[in-house]
Amino acid sequence: MNRTLRSLAAHVLPPALTLIGALLFWEFWVQWRDIAIIVVPPPSAVLERFLDDPDFFRRHGGWTLYEATLGLLLGSSFALALAVAMAHSRLTERALFPLAIIIKVTPIVAVAPVLVIMFGFGTTPKILVAALLSFFPMLVNAMTGFRDVNPGALEFMRSLRASPWQLFWKLRLPSALPYLFAALKITYPLALIGAVVAEWFTGDRGLGLVIFVANANLDTPTLFAAVGVLALTGVTLNVLLYLTERRLLFWHETIRTIR
Amino acid sequence: MANVRYHVSLRNLTHVFQDSRRALTALADVALEAVWGQFLTVIGPSGCGKSTLLRIIGGLLRPSEGEVLIDGAAPVESQRRRDIGFVFQDPALLPWRTVLSNVRLPLEIDHGARARTAPSPEELLELTGLADFHSYYPHELSGGMQQRVAIARALAFDPSLLLMDEPFGALDEITRSAMRYELLRIWSAGGGAPSGAEGQPTRRPHKTVVFVTHSIPEAIALSDRVVVLSPRPGAVRAAIDIELPRPRTQEMERTAPFLDYADQLRNLLKEAPA
Repeated sequence: MNRTLRSLAAHVLPPALTLIGALLFWEFWVQWRDIAIIVVPPPSAVLERFLDDPDFFRRHGGWTLYEATLGLLLGSSFALALAVAMAHSRLTERALFPLAIIIKVTPIVAVAPVLVIMFGFGTTPKILVAALLSFFPMLVNAMTGFRDVNPGALEFMRSLRASPWQLFWKLRLPSALPYLFAALKITYPLALIGAVVAEWFTGDRGLGLVIFVANANLDTPTLFAAVGVLALTGVTLNVLLYLTERRLLFWHETIRTIR
Repeated sequence: MANVRYHVSLRNLTHVFQDSRRALTALADVALEAVWGQFLTVIGPSGCGKSTLLRIIGGLLRPSEGEVLIDGAAPVESQRRRDIGFVFQDPALLPWRTVLSNVRLPLEIDHGARARTAPSPEELLELTGLADFHSYYPHELSGGMQQRVAIARALAFDPSLLLMDEPFGALDEITRSAMRYELLRIWSAGGGAPSGAEGQPTRRPHKTVVFVTHSIPEAIALSDRVVVLSPRPGAVRAAIDIELPRPRTQEMERTAPFLDYADQLRNLLKEAPA
């Protein structure tokens, strides 16, 4: 117990102190230079705005998180399915990889309006934008992961005449897990960005909308509060991913060496 | 068909690795036989195609030319009956599985008829001296212990043929020489082909083992017969029967007959242009 507390303190305290220091500096700087609130609001005003109606932020943040998560699931599923096909056949890889690159290099701000035209103002285009953004990193990582299999283990499974299905579930997928987690740490925040960008263009809810409206009204405390909530969501997701990874990948070098 | 039905028989076996730029002959006209229950070792310098030979016997690789018969049929047949056990130099255990779960893996892949006659994973751990380690993960074990797990795993279907590719090659010298006698103990305790197997009148006392190594003492201590391969391309240079009594012990390694065999093998390995 004492040790857990101490390790928690060692991990949380330094960044927390840095953050508090930065916020204090910001607060005093704004007060001292007497900067107008529409230019930069002091943290106290942002916090006040948040505490004024936390439910407002929770509601909109919840929507954004919902869209991002669905988009992530959709994009990852497609990426995983494609990665399986590509890892098994070079021909599939040659046929499909260029298309995947097109998806990657097309700027999402250019695609988002098109998706809105195609799918309307509802949740669908937001989920799709989030899916598009999370697709490529997951594809590349999963492909590498499915191929990065211990050759001896593969040989042994072959000597047992394991079916491709068994090879996948018992060997390839677990071997790829470290890569999949590495991808998730990139794609979840990306999906969040995708959802916000899509909300920005259209929509009646979500943090993207809140930011857009607050920006138009020069309501900087709301704007900053929304940005803060977004940042906090991203951090929380990363911490959750990290903890899950540690539980699941206890056997992997990357986890074993950080003890 | 010949009068004697060998367990393993290779004839005119040649294997060429071919890629777009060059061809590499790994094995040239190899002939070799192992009778039922024999401990046969193939010895040769690195790169003489020993591993290739083993993979061909195990049905993992199709030879360019020649005939491979396991119990009178193609290796794939034995593989299909799960009658071949493989141990590689790299234990290649699945790191996310416990020792017990690694040994159980083959049974998960085929829960067929053969699995029912075979010893249980728990019995195999007992046999290989791992009973107390069943819930450990591979990274918590030493190299020697990991290789024991790999041996237990290879025995999961109680195969009549065990193929071992330098299984102790990555171990330190002390562990390595201990593992030799450990393997012999397992081999004598493990039993041979289950009775009633086709073309087999009686139950054999031992499994047939084809063991690949480049260690001379290892080859002598373990084997009934040692086949010496020449380097690149691998061809059979000689075959020696090791007529030391069994059970073999570590003390025998210092006796005159053992050392004579060692000299003989050393000369055979030295001979001819490298």
